[in-house]
Amino acid sequence: MSVSEAVRRFVKNGMTVGIGGQNINRCAMAVSHEIIRQGIRDLTLVGCNLSIQMDILVGAGLVKKCICGTGNLERFGSTYNFRRAVERGELEVDDYSHNAMVARFLAGEMGLPFMPTRSMMGSDLLKQHPSGADMKWVNMANPWDPGDNVILLPAMSPDVSIVHVQRCDPCGNVVIDGILNHEPEMIRASRAVIVSCEEVVPEEVIRSHPERTVIPFHFVSAVVEQPFGAHPTATYGYYEYDDVHIRYYQDMASRGDEDFAKYLKEYVLDSADFVDYLEKIGLRRLLELSRIMRGVDDEKRTGSGLHR
Amino acid sequence: MMKREQVPAYTDDFTEEELMVIEAARYIKNDYLVIVGTGLPMIASQFAQRTHAPMASFIVESGPVDPQLLPVPISVTDRKIANRAVRLGSTREVMSCMLQRGLVDLGFIGGAQIDIFGNINSSYIGDWRGPRVRLPGSGGANDIATNCQRILIITRHEKRRFPEKVDFITSPGYLDGLDGRRKAGLKVTKPDITLVTELAVMEIDKNVGKFRLAKLMPQTTVEEVLHNTGFRPLIDGDIDEVKKPTLEQIRILRTEIDPEGIYLKKRTG
Repeated sequence: MSVSEAVRRFVKNGMTVGIGGQNINRCAMAVSHEIIRQGIRDLTLVGCNLSIQMDILVGAGLVKKCICGTGNLERFGSTYNFRRAVERGELEVDDYSHNAMVARFLAGEMGLPFMPTRSMMGSDLLKQHPSGADMKWVNMANPWDPGDNVILLPAMSPDVSIVHVQRCDPCGNVVIDGILNHEPEMIRASRAVIVSCEEVVPEEVIRSHPERTVIPFHFVSAVVEQPFGAHPTATYGYYEYDDVHIRYYQDMASRGDEDFAKYLKEYVLDSADFVDYLEKIGLRRLLELSRIMRGVDDEKRTGSGLHR
Repeated sequence: MMKREQVPAYTDDFTEEELMVIEAARYIKNDYLVIVGTGLPMIASQFAQRTHAPMASFIVESGPVDPQLLPVPISVTDRKIANRAVRLGSTREVMSCMLQRGLVDLGFIGGAQIDIFGNINSSYIGDWRGPRVRLPGSGGANDIATNCQRILIITRHEKRRFPEKVDFITSPGYLDGLDGRRKAGLKVTKPDITLVTELAVMEIDKNVGKFRLAKLMPQTTVEEVLHNTGFRPLIDGDIDEVKKPTLEQIRILRTEIDPEGIYLKKRTG
């Protein structure tokens, strides 16, 4: 399925959207760009660490609320559109810890109404009640050991989740290389899932190594093949994050709305599709990011075997 | 040739950050399971593993279990932090099945504000309903502060960073005092909390629930620490001086752990 068709079919105004990836790895940028091009708005974004994928959607004015553990880009700094929107009172944030968000997805994926956790007890994460939330949590004594209390958190089941992975077959059997973040729980908890992947592989590849399948097709609504679909974040095993472009993004985002609008126009709105965007990044740079991920030390060892 | 006596060669050639890292690493024991993020905590953990704690094991919130880090990861999702792990798992495996389960010996946390009870704010400056500054948020910090027996904080020493009371408790220290954690229902009621800065080391007094000034960095005074601290830590008894690093320790940091000076800025001038 094309990314534009997948987004048109499964992402609607006002939806709660599960955000995959984390920080500088496997953010579903191709799908996010398409959501911006289609102008789907009033979104609630949910996840653990929401980074550049959330920030670009916030910067495009499409997000009303985030339910998450963090918004930042670690070494690359804060998520500036997010920060500005919160400080202006334009974006509501319902704060959790990462373990707490995982507990909510875990309840969702198992068809349970809530899940106990030890996280957040005693902290102001419990005091913070966003508008419209009737009951964020319940403190409950363990019925078998009344001195031992836990916090109950309601299940989180996104209307749609968007994730970028390494490989998937046409039916939606998902292979994720490397760290999994909160994605297995979030994907299985979601009512619909758009998976973009580096490679669509034949079903036979999945069936010959079924132990490698992280998510079977029953949970997946749309499969989109988009090489470099996480750029400027990395896809483990395929290409490194693009530090030059992330710095440029951060520079434009930190300057304010006007400069960020220029970024959006140049790279997203004026791009017909994600391949058009990748052409602006350039083949030379993309190949370089692939080489870096493979751990190839470019200059030093070139030809050293022949000239000894 | 004459046999030389093995005396560690202490050096004055070190930066504040280098000594902070070396001092923090001293709290990591050889048999510890440590949960780390990036930045100075990761540098300290790697340094401990490279020197006195070779059997110490790391986990990272995004899923890596016991990786052998490549210099120098800049994110918890960097391939360099996943290098040669025994497993690349999920947030749930690390944060729920290992951390919440109670398997982790020590965790690192950072924050914009830390108060006298060891409470940490990484969420909001000002009132959360209309904040002056929105900070990143908890991430795994609340989970680490909740579930670890030992918590290490490495941070710059600034008055505004150490207020009497944080604007928002993202991660619980002793909350409002000695009994705070028990009253709130936290299972770990009296964790060790250690704060390492370029001026001093403070440790929570587990009989009071407040920070006590434990050690001074070389060439700092109690007055200087108090002048730069918004709360007044407990001060009594002996205050040790943090040992200067050895030449070998500095060599390891500069050539093996952070050769490009990504987190440990090079000395200028």
